[in-house]
Parts: sequence; structure tokens; C-alpha cells
Amino acid sequence: MSDTPLLNAENVTVQFGGVIALDRVSAAVARGAIHAVIGPNGAGKSTLLNVVTGLYQPSSGNVSFEGQSLGGMAPHRINRMGIARTFQNTELFGEMTALENVLIGLDRRHACHPLDAALHDGGWRRSEIAARREARQLLSLVGLAEDEGNLAAALPFGKQRRLEIARALATEPKLLLLDEPAAGLRAAEIEVLNRVLLDLRSERGITILVIDHVMALVMAISDRISVLNFGRKIAEGTPAEVRSAPAVIEAYLGEKGAHAFGA
Amino acid sequence: MLARSLFAMVAALAFLAAPHVLAEFHLFQICLIAGTALVVLGLVVVTGFAGQISLAQAAFVALGGYGSAILATRWGFPLWAGIPVVAVAVSVVGFLLGQMTLRVSGHYLALVTMAVTAIVQIALIYSDSITGGAAGMPVPTFEIFGYALSTGGQLYYVIVPVTAALFLAVHNLNRSHYGRALAAIRQSETAAELMGLNVLRYKAAAFGASGFLGAIGGGLLAPLSTYLDPAQFGITHSVYFLAVAVVGGMASPLGALVGSTIFVFLPDFLQGFQSYLGLVFALLLLGFIVLRPNGLASFNLPRALSSALARTGDGR
Repeated sequence: MSDTPLLNAENVTVQFGGVIALDRVSAAVARGAIHAVIGPNGAGKSTLLNVVTGLYQPSSGNVSFEGQSLGGMAPHRINRMGIARTFQNTELFGEMTALENVLIGLDRRHACHPLDAALHDGGWRRSEIAARREARQLLSLVGLAEDEGNLAAALPFGKQRRLEIARALATEPKLLLLDEPAAGLRAAEIEVLNRVLLDLRSERGITILVIDHVMALVMAISDRISVLNFGRKIAEGTPAEVRSAPAVIEAYLGEKGAHAFGA
Repeated sequence: MLARSLFAMVAALAFLAAPHVLAEFHLFQICLIAGTALVVLGLVVVTGFAGQISLAQAAFVALGGYGSAILATRWGFPLWAGIPVVAVAVSVVGFLLGQMTLRVSGHYLALVTMAVTAIVQIALIYSDSITGGAAGMPVPTFEIFGYALSTGGQLYYVIVPVTAALFLAVHNLNRSHYGRALAAIRQSETAAELMGLNVLRYKAAAFGASGFLGAIGGGLLAPLSTYLDPAQFGITHSVYFLAVAVVGGMASPLGALVGSTIFVFLPDFLQGFQSYLGLVFALLLLGFIVLRPNGLASFNLPRALSSALARTGDGR
């Protein structure tokens, strides 16, 4: 059982009218791995995340999680199976505080009876206190303990990113999907983010699938990298293998990318 | 905690004292405000909290009023039992209507819910044998524990406590994880769904709640007006309820109460302008949407006063 991949995409094709966003892409994410998907804009990276989380249905092919097919499953059920994500341009609940954003993910596990909620009795109070305590722990995990009462929309972008991670963690995922978490972050912030992601894996056993352009993140923490270009997977391997793969350097990275790798 | 129990005591005293101080007509007006506020509270839940526009409220009110009146006249089912039973049935109708939000949203949802109001009204007009058709039907007296409550001063003892209890329940639910979930859905359905919320179920439940509250309001307003006429339950009335909610404010239950109070008293203040009443309501609605989209209840009175004082203090 342990050698079946946690997430397995097989020959996934996504077509929008005449445009093929993903062309028979297969990828397996091993349990406990940090797996990166890289590729230029429009390569189909975000489409892949949208298929895994149930926002898009593949035209053909299949995605399975822990051996169970996700085909046709509603996004909220996929989340409940243990897959949570963040968004490239953040999709926080802007009018709610940072704490409330995290509570949304926790409420399902701390829910009280509707009658308790209508009466605000002891049952409601206990569930609310327990949920808030856990929410505060998650906020401090991503370094937002001071911001719990601030509106999500009022936070600076870097903090919004981290709040999205805390909110995703609140649903207790086994697999965390991150859509360009490092875009627009400064080098020091990327260091902090790398630390957080590595800790998530070692302390909580969370498997991470990350999409990004930022090589300082991808190369530093990934066990395995898949490279997409024009909807096709053109390479896969360890960071060292991908870095030296001629197909990657030629078709995708070019001169500039080779420079970014320090090659 | 102390402030809260003090408030509850003052409210209870005011409730008991009012019938001895106020004239019958004013008690009738209080009942009218409370009943309307319940109907509008349904809109606050579905449109204000969950962000789903609804013009079906007049239909829910009609079903609540007609349903309980028919149960009473045909089968001798007393109103005190009939109103909650019918309200539960109407909430199921609302829940099923809410399933529609899987397919339609925004303007299209407004049109679909408007069609529901039109269909219910037409059904009432053409079911002569049960509803009295276009001529309408009288509402039986509200009887409970052997007392017959027919005037505003008598119905006051039922309508006001029921309204207070339901307002408290909605206020509490809104401040629990249920309210949080609806707020999340209003702000980003995608994110809410990906956080594991069954968005469709929550939206349908919000419609169910609006149906329940609308039907209770309709059921309580019917014995107050003593007569049901299908002309009272058209699309115009759905728009009227929406106007009350917008002017009062949709962000909190308080808005439903503020809006209803204004719209019940306004016609009295404007007696000389009776024929322009529709225009006044329309201008109010327009003005609030443009200038104060969160309604009157969003005014923080103490803060507004202190900032006004500070400005005069500047010598300007």
C-alpha cells in the first residue's frame, strides 16, 4: 500500500473547445514527497491543479487519490478526502478576519448541533473555543499570530499567501497543493516559506505538490520535479536530473533559465 | 453578561407595559412591524448573509398565510399549530428552490425567483374552490388556550414574542459557524467549496430559512389583516420586501427591524402624498443602493455623533 502513490494522474487531457490545455499528462506524487511542477506560463500547471481539486473535469484520463478515482466528484468532497489548495492570486474571504478565514476550514470538525448554535449554549461555546484555539495554532505556525483580528483583505500580499496556507491546513489535508506560493516574495520571505513547507512535511507528514517559477524554492525543497510545456510533460526527475535534462534547457528554460539555475 | 440580562429585563418590561400605555392602533402597528420584519429577516438571511438575490419572498408569505388559513377553515386545524407546520413545508419548498442555484445565479436567479412569485400568485387566483380566487378569503380567528385573539392588541402577545425569539435565533446562528459559512460563500464560492463546504447545500438551506421566516411572517400577518387577497402577494410585494431590506440593511438582523419600522410608519408621515408613496419608496431604494449600500443599520450612531461633534468643535 505504501508504494502506491498518494496522488496519481494518468493520461489526463483537458480540452477547452479547440485548445488543449493538458495533453495526456501523467504524474505520480509519492506519499511524503515534496513534488514540484514547473513550466512557462500557459504550460497547463494551474489547469492540472484545477483538475485535481475538481474545478475542472478532464476530457479524458483519470486522477486518483489513495487509489480512489476522483472523477466526477464535487470539489468539497475532494477536499474532505484530504486535498487542500491555495490560489495563485489568493482567494481569501476578504471581509473576514484572518482567524475567521482559518475557522472556515476547522468548523466542519468542531461543528455543534444547530440548536446549540441557535441558543448559543454550552455546546456552542465549547465547540467555538476549541475551534478558535486550533485556528490560533495554525496562524502562529505560519507566523500570523499577531494578525488574527485583521481583515484578510487588509493584510499585505505576503501575509495573505501565508494565511491561505493556514486556511488550507485547517481542513487537515494529506496533500497540500500550492499554486505559485513564492511569486512576488523577496528572497528572505522565500527562505521562511521553504522552512514552513519542510516543517509541514516532517512534523505533520503532509505531502506537498507545488507549482512555481521561483527556482530558489523549487530547487531547494523538491524531491521530484515534473516539467510541463504547452500542456505536455517534457521531463521528470530529481532537481539535479531536471536541471541537466537537455529537453528542459532547450524547450523551456533557454538561456535565461540556465542562468537562473546557475549552470 | 450583566448588560445583556439588563437589556433582556428592560425589553421584557417594555413588552408588558406597552399594551397599558399605547393605543390599540399603535399595538396594531407594532404587530405589523414585527410581522414584516420576520418576512424581511428571511431576505436578510438569503440575500444579505448568503448573497443569493431572491424575489420569491412574497410567494413564501402567501403560502404561509393561505396555507395556515386553509388548514384552519377546511380541516379545523388551529392557526397556532397550522402556521409552524405550514412554515416547515414552505421551508422545504424554499430548499428545493435553492437547489436551482446550482444552475443559475445573479440576475438569472432574480428572474427565476420572480417567476416563482408570479406562479404562486396565479395559482392562488385560479384555485377558486380553495382560495376564493381573485376575491380572496377571510382568515379565521387566531385561537389559543381558549382565547380568541383578533385585534392588534391581542395578537401582540403572540406576534411580538415569536418575532423576538426568531430574531434571537437568527442572530445567534449568524454568529456561529453557520453564519461564517454563509459569509464565506457570499465572498468566494470557489474558495468556500474548496474548503470543504457543500456550497449548494448551504445556499439551499438559506433559501429554506427564508421560506420558513417568510411563511411564519405571512401566517402571523394574515389574522392581523383578517383577509387574504392574492393582489397582496405579487412581484411588486417581493420588490417591496427587498426595498425594506436594502433600506434597513442586509448585513445584520437589526436591518430587517429598522427597515420594517420605517416602511410601516412612512405612509403615516406622508399622508398628504399618498399617491406618490410608490415614488418615495423607489427613491429611497435608489438612494440607499447608491449612497448607503449597507443600509441604515450600518450607521454607528455613537461614532457618527462624536465625529459630528468633533467637526463642530473645530469651529467649522
